[in-house]
This record gives sequence, structure tokens and C-alpha cells, in this order.
Amino acid sequence: MAKVQAKETVTSGQPISRDEILSRLQDPAFMLVNVMPKETFDAGHIPHSINLPVAEIEKKARQVLPLLDREITVYCMGST
Amino acid sequence: MGYTNVRYYVGGMADWVEGCGPVERVESPAVPRQPARNIQPSSPRRLAWANCLGILANWPLEQLVGFWLGIIIFFGLVYWIAGIGMGWGLQAGNATVKPDLDGLGTAIYFSFVTALSIGYGDVIPLGPLRILAVTEGIAGLLIFGCVISKLVSRRQEELVEEIHRTTFEDRLDRVRTNLHLILSDFDAIDQINREHSALPGLVLRRLESSERVFAGELKTIHDLLYRTRLLPEEDALESLLANLALCLTALIDLLNSQPQRSAALDADLKTISNLANEICGECVPRTYAPALKRWMDQIQEMAKRIA
Repeated sequence: MAKVQAKETVTSGQPISRDEILSRLQDPAFMLVNVMPKETFDAGHIPHSINLPVAEIEKKARQVLPLLDREITVYCMGST
Repeated sequence: MGYTNVRYYVGGMADWVEGCGPVERVESPAVPRQPARNIQPSSPRRLAWANCLGILANWPLEQLVGFWLGIIIFFGLVYWIAGIGMGWGLQAGNATVKPDLDGLGTAIYFSFVTALSIGYGDVIPLGPLRILAVTEGIAGLLIFGCVISKLVSRRQEELVEEIHRTTFEDRLDRVRTNLHLILSDFDAIDQINREHSALPGLVLRRLESSERVFAGELKTIHDLLYRTRLLPEEDALESLLANLALCLTALIDLLNSQPQRSAALDADLKTISNLANEICGECVPRTYAPALKRWMDQIQEMAKRIA
């Protein structure tokens, strides 16, 4: 259910390219969210990204991402 | 969720790594990367030499032996050099050991004899050199002790590794069996459900109980996929995932034909859905054969239909 909601938000959002992420990595206002499970996140993630596993989106989203209209970028392992 | 400004990186981690982007890692203490044990000096009041012993114990065997030989030769050189400038040195019989090539041989010979705690007594140290000789004796003994204990512990480490592997395979078997039992239980509940003469609440109770066990098994599977050092064999894992898919199918059918819910049941279903969702073919830390990935995708699909 959470994944379905996330996917709906995702497919209606705009795609972002790798180059843009690379250029904006140092930007403190750039919010990068990794939705993989914690262990996969530990094994390797893009620097400055935060971990918010799909299973915990409902619980922790409000704490980690308090502003609704702030720009957030979501990524997973591949083209899921 | 209400977020209005969401963007999505289509390629994900795979594309990032392919483009050689910087990757950050988190060292997790729960899963040790090396099988070698690290002897940590825990109490701060241990003497400095005891800490040195701890450091020595972490070295590999070859390095330890090399270090031992190095110390002996180093001491031998010191004995030899001491004989040159100073008045004291080694004494062989009644004559002082001369600082020439022959003397070097004698000095190194003396060094070996001292370190191995043989102590023939044909060459003896004079004056302050005696302190050095005693120190070398202690050092030689301790390092030799380390070397011997390393040889013994090698066999022990092999045995421990074997035990780990056996336990792991047992766990895999146990999960497979439990999944089968859970499947039978779901079928039995379905049977009871069809006989409308069942007591009210009986079906719900049994369902809740099965859910709990199912959630527990899912957690174990999750650990097996994400948290082990040992690789499960692909066909064992495949049969496990197939069984899991069967259980999920049975569960979905059961939930469709059985509309009763309770708070506890909903909580369990949510846990099951989340855990099954995380069995994602692309998120697991190892690459598996496409057949396994298909099973994982199927399981993820079913997870969405549960909660």
C-alpha cells in the first residue's frame, strides 16, 4: 500500500538526470531520499542522501521531510 | 502522502555507479567482514606491555615469525656493535668477542641461543649487555608463545566456520518446513471458513495466530537475504521463495473470502506486507539468477495486494 502510494507520487513527478544530481550534490537545499532497505543503504548510497525505507515511509516521512512543498528527489536501486 | 514537489531519479543506484559517481558507505558493526577475531584490550588499566601483546596477537602467522627473526637479528647486531665502541661486549671462553666478521657470527649465534632460551653458556654477555640479553629472552619467549597459539587456533577457526555453515543450512531447512506448515494451516482455516457452522471468532483467532507465525518466518527470510555472510545456495533459496509465494497466494485468497478483521490482524498484515515488499530483486545486496528475481518480483506484487 505504501509502495503503491509512493509509486503514484513517483510516476507523476518529474525525472531528474544524473548530471543534475552531480552538480547539486553540495547544495544544502537539495534533498535526496534513498528508499531502499537499511542494509542496502549501508552497503552503498549517494553521498548526502538520507535513508527512508519504503516500509517506514508512513511512520517517518513527516519527521524526516516536514515541509510538503519542498523539492525532494527519490531514488531506488534501478528502474523500479 | 501530500508531498507536492517530488522528483525521481530514473536510473537509480545502478545508473549512478555506472557513471562512477561518488558512493558513501556505512560500516555496520553487526555483520563482521573478516573472519579473524580481534582481541580488544578492554580494561584501561592493563599495562602497556599487555596491550602490545594484544596487538601482536592480531598479526598473521607469517608476519609474527618474520618479526621474531627480525628481533633476533637486531639484537645480535646490537651485541656486536656494543663490542666495538664500548669496553664490554660478549665473552666467549676467556676472550672478548672481537668486532669483526667472525664476531658478528658469534653475536647472532648468541642472540638465537638467548631468544630460544637454550643458553649454552659458551658465549656470555658482560656488563650492561646482560640486561639486554634478559629482555631478549623474555621477548623471544612471548612471541614464540603467540606463534604456537596461532597455529592451534587456526584449526579452531576452521571448526567454528563449519559450525556456522551447518547452523545456517539448518535455518534454511527450518524456514522451508515452517512455510509448508503455514500453508497447510491457511488451507485448514479456509476449510473451516467454508463450513458455515464454525464458531464465530474461531476463524479470526486461528488467522491471527497463523499471521503471527508467518510474520516471524518472513523476518527470518529477510535476515537470510540481507544479513548473512554466508551465501544461501541458489536452488535452496529458490524453493524457499516459491514456498513463500504459495503462502502469500493462499493468504490473499483467504483474506478475500474472509472479511473479518481485527486490530491485531491488521497490524500483522501490515508487517507482512512491508517485509514482503522489501524482498526486492534489485535491492538485495547480491545479484541472483533471473529465476529468483522473478520470484521476488512476484512476491512484491502480492505484498501490495495484502495490506
